[in-house]
Amino acid sequence: MAFVIPSYFVWLIFALPYTGALLSAALRKAGKVSNVVAVGFSLLSALFAFSMLLPIITGQSLDTVDSVIPKSVPWISGLNLRMGVLTDPYTAILTNVVAWVSFLIMVYSLEYMKEDGGSNRYFFFVSLFVGSMQLIVLSDNLLSLFIGWEMVGLCSYALIGHYWKDETKDWVGTPGDRALGEEQAYSPSHAGMKAFVMTRVGDVAMLAGILILFFYAGTFNYQALASTYGTWVPALNSSGLLVPVALLIFGGAVGKSAQFPLHEWLPDAMAGPAPVSALIHAATMVKAGVVLVARIAPLFYFAAVSSTSLGAASVQPFFATVAWIGAFTAVLAASQALVGFELKKILAYSTVSQVGYMMMAVGVAGLSSDFVQGLSAGLYHLMSHAIFKACLFLAAGALIHSADSKYVSEMGGMRSTMKLTFAAVLIASASLSGIPPFSGFWSKDAVLGAAWDAGQYGLFAVGALTAGLTAFYSFRMLGLVFYGSSSRRLEQVEQAGHHVHEPSPVMWVPYAILAFGSLIVGLAALAGQVIPSLNLDATFTAAAASYVQSLYPSALSTGPSVAFNLAPSLVTLLFVGIGFFLSAWLYLLRRTSPERLVGGTGFLHNLYIFLEKRWYINALYYRVFVNAPVAASGWLSEKFDRMGLFRVNDAGSILGVSLSAAGNWVDVKIVDGAANGFSAAGQALSRVVRKAQTGVVENYIQVFAIGIVLLVAFLLVALGVRLR
Amino acid sequence: MIDFLTLAIGTLAGCSLLLPLLQLVKGRDWNLSGYILAAVLASAMVMVAVFTLSPSDLPWFGSLLRGDALGGVFALVTLGVTLMVTLASLETQKGEGNPVYYSLLSFTALGMLLLSYSQDLLMLFVAWELMSLPTYVLAGFDKKLRSNEAAVKYAVIGAMSSAIILYAISLAYGLTGSTQISAVVQGFSRLLAAQSDATALASVAILLFVAGFGFKMSIVPFHMWIPDAYEGAPTTVSTLLAAATKKAGFIAGIRVLLAITTAYVVTQNPAFTMANVFAVLALVTMTVGNVSALTQKSMTRLLAYSSIAQAGYILIGFVAFSADPQSASASIGMTGSVFHVINHALMKGAAFLAAGLVIMQLRRADLGAFDGLGRRMPITAFTLTVALLALAGVPPLSGFWSKLLLFLSVSNAQFGWLALAAILNSAFSLGYYAWIIKRMYIDEADAPGRVKEPLWFVVVFAVAVGLIIGIGLFPQQAINLSSAAAAGILG
Repeated sequence: MAFVIPSYFVWLIFALPYTGALLSAALRKAGKVSNVVAVGFSLLSALFAFSMLLPIITGQSLDTVDSVIPKSVPWISGLNLRMGVLTDPYTAILTNVVAWVSFLIMVYSLEYMKEDGGSNRYFFFVSLFVGSMQLIVLSDNLLSLFIGWEMVGLCSYALIGHYWKDETKDWVGTPGDRALGEEQAYSPSHAGMKAFVMTRVGDVAMLAGILILFFYAGTFNYQALASTYGTWVPALNSSGLLVPVALLIFGGAVGKSAQFPLHEWLPDAMAGPAPVSALIHAATMVKAGVVLVARIAPLFYFAAVSSTSLGAASVQPFFATVAWIGAFTAVLAASQALVGFELKKILAYSTVSQVGYMMMAVGVAGLSSDFVQGLSAGLYHLMSHAIFKACLFLAAGALIHSADSKYVSEMGGMRSTMKLTFAAVLIASASLSGIPPFSGFWSKDAVLGAAWDAGQYGLFAVGALTAGLTAFYSFRMLGLVFYGSSSRRLEQVEQAGHHVHEPSPVMWVPYAILAFGSLIVGLAALAGQVIPSLNLDATFTAAAASYVQSLYPSALSTGPSVAFNLAPSLVTLLFVGIGFFLSAWLYLLRRTSPERLVGGTGFLHNLYIFLEKRWYINALYYRVFVNAPVAASGWLSEKFDRMGLFRVNDAGSILGVSLSAAGNWVDVKIVDGAANGFSAAGQALSRVVRKAQTGVVENYIQVFAIGIVLLVAFLLVALGVRLR
Repeated sequence: MIDFLTLAIGTLAGCSLLLPLLQLVKGRDWNLSGYILAAVLASAMVMVAVFTLSPSDLPWFGSLLRGDALGGVFALVTLGVTLMVTLASLETQKGEGNPVYYSLLSFTALGMLLLSYSQDLLMLFVAWELMSLPTYVLAGFDKKLRSNEAAVKYAVIGAMSSAIILYAISLAYGLTGSTQISAVVQGFSRLLAAQSDATALASVAILLFVAGFGFKMSIVPFHMWIPDAYEGAPTTVSTLLAAATKKAGFIAGIRVLLAITTAYVVTQNPAFTMANVFAVLALVTMTVGNVSALTQKSMTRLLAYSSIAQAGYILIGFVAFSADPQSASASIGMTGSVFHVINHALMKGAAFLAAGLVIMQLRRADLGAFDGLGRRMPITAFTLTVALLALAGVPPLSGFWSKLLLFLSVSNAQFGWLALAAILNSAFSLGYYAWIIKRMYIDEADAPGRVKEPLWFVVVFAVAVGLIIGIGLFPQQAINLSSAAAAGILG
């Protein structure tokens, strides 16, 4: 049975947020109405997205009829390009995650940004951001994906730097904190810039990769790439570029998804408003990288598998790199989250770590005999993470507002005053920790199970260890915020007359819905173990398989297996259990003081400092990539620009100086006293000549002449070589 | 049938000669001459556009000119920029408006129009001088020391480059006995094929052309005059230099250099080809431009260096073409070059005029003037933002597409390094562009309060921004036009 929607529904999913952005900008003068308009368009977009999800829920297949705008339209005929949208179930799930999570975040923002003078600008960029993310998700080719990709980057720059006044309270990090002598605290505008520049590094690689791919394949379209693999894959392979091109494109994902070694921008991106963090972390920006890798992974894998001369082994270096970068990032970021004291920063490290899992899943896909298992696990975790992380960030916004502090150490005991928020954070944290039966358990289990089934025990071990760390930092955060007694800070806030209280329903309802969603997904997955129609694993596997089949119709000969493997789950649960109980002992029950445990010296103390300084990676980047080039450019400007390059012919400049001195003498001794106009003209001329004769123009001509000599020399050498 | 090209040339020539006569009319609003020039330029553009729609690829004026689509595109671009500059000058020259100023602009426009269609080296040189000489005066038009200094420097180096071009032409004539570009090309290819002793002289001639045209194209190391001249000259004139006369340098480069290159590749040595010469020049030009721009304190200097960097990108098309004129890469590359010329005229024109307006209204040119501009001069700030992002090649603005084509054309094994370097440069350039945008929208102004944005500037900004975004969203037509123009070179 097929469920049919008109093709323009799909186009509207990304066109509507753009429209909302333009309208909210146009209605700027109308005040808050414009914000509601933006949210309304986001809801409309989500409803159209939902039309793509319906068939998956009801167990039908999705079909589209071309109406108003066909699925694919001509774009640039000179390059034979078309632009279109994808409508497979994999895309349908992704687009719904983006649409609904960002809609809830925008509703929350209505209240959160109420007092903010720049709320119009905020809603404009958020709408643009969401539309561009949908463009990334829905694009059927790499070029329009790249356009969405760059626009997401621009919007993130604007949103992270939203508090442009750079007041100290909006800074991320604690001013004065240094590592290797480099400042570790950043103003919002600095953080926005950092995000922008750092993700650009990845984008450069990605654009290079896409261009090389186009040069060999002549197309950006996924399906066209898949159907012509017989020509471009061997060609790339014979020039040794197959894996490098895939890795270059992956470079873009490394930047956007904040994976090692380009992970350092994300923790500082916390400088934006809390809902922006929720948006970047849960629904949009960092997920874009996963989407990109998921799009190209099957392309390369099945092209290699289907080529008679190649086989899966030829692309395995790519998948191994993706998987290991994911796994390493997961453990790196989780370890930094262990010692964080800024609430949103803990969550940020956690995002980096969780996205690492998703990358690992997609990487594992290519290392396993069952490609679809890894791909579907990545999508599964992406969805469940989007829900609980959005919930956590939105709740964090409420907590920070309430406590008037961004530090968890300045909260404490808030479980009695903010019961609702506590419940939401509890569910989301349990989900993040991977405690059954919450959603995070099932999706993380899918990822780790895929690694186990692929025989990648190393990756599995890193993943399981990270799961333990995750449980520890999640409950550490929960314990510091909600358990124990109120901090001195909170008491001061109370005394000042601000009672710690729940936010208004406009704010708590969105994150309550998200927490509830996380719970429902978990329970459904639990029920799915016995009721086949509720088996989420199977749903995601079918979705992933359908995307692969849309590229390579005959690729999947055997049906995907969805057996629940108990062994990896038990090992993971063991790690999670250890992490949870340690954390509960220290932060929930508060039996031992963590400060006493770490102490002022010794191994634990050194480890603590190492983690707290972010493994010194950030400081190193600043030293090598920021300070050094700035110095170089300054030097270049001083030597070449202002002083003139060559001072060989000083005679000229001496002559110039004496001429102007003479001019001055004439000026002073003779002309002075003569007609005023004449004098002024003489002075002006003298100054012009002096300026022009102090070697500057002469130097310019020198450089010009040297250029000609070099060119001629180059050619004479050329001719000499040729004539011989 | 009316010959629209001749008509356009005649109109502009008449306008140039008659405008100064307005000085005789006392007690009139001096801006009148500006309005007249704007009307003349607009009508000349219409005539050229009509002519380009049905180009007759035939010799004109005794084979001095050739009426092809390539010439049409460059004529439209240069006339368009001159029109932008004229409209902006209506505001900057207000009160002190001078018919001579507009007459000089008109002469420059005429020179560029003739240059676009030149098919003969002598015609080309005459048009080159007709274009250049008025700009030396214009650069010094502000009765200020800096402006005069800029003019002196510009004129000295300009005279030198003219001499170099003239020397190259004389060599070419001596070797081939003709000043017709097509005849010179044939003569050169015969010389090179025969491997006669004159080969070396022919090569010297080619490289002297590179240096001579490189002066206008702002190719490193022939670029040294640019920052000083752009900074010192009135900003409207800087706009003209950056966005229009520079393009004239490129059309001369395309018509002469690339034509000769087609002959030259026949006898190339694998390591020392013209493609390699262009590749090295492109790399050095874009890198020096971008790196120097990073630490500039003055907006006009920054834009000058950015303009140098953009010339490096345009040269990439030359590389793809001279590597193999018959290949698909050459076609993509030349389309990209022509397209980027169009885009650069728009983007740089808008950016320079926006900067010029800020300098005029706030009376300062340092980057500090741009702090908080988003609230003080919203239209100008928005224009500058769009123009800078387009210059950086951020999609979906127009600059993205031309850069994409250029980078694509060299994404092959031979010049892949150049593509990578260009992408890196492009990313690097965003560093200083974004910094200005940050200043305008994030930093606080030291003197808040709205500043007046004069009408004609707003009109020019609206058109430019509309085109940058419009071409960005719907690049198809502009690419088709560029590709039709490029077809003329590809032959």
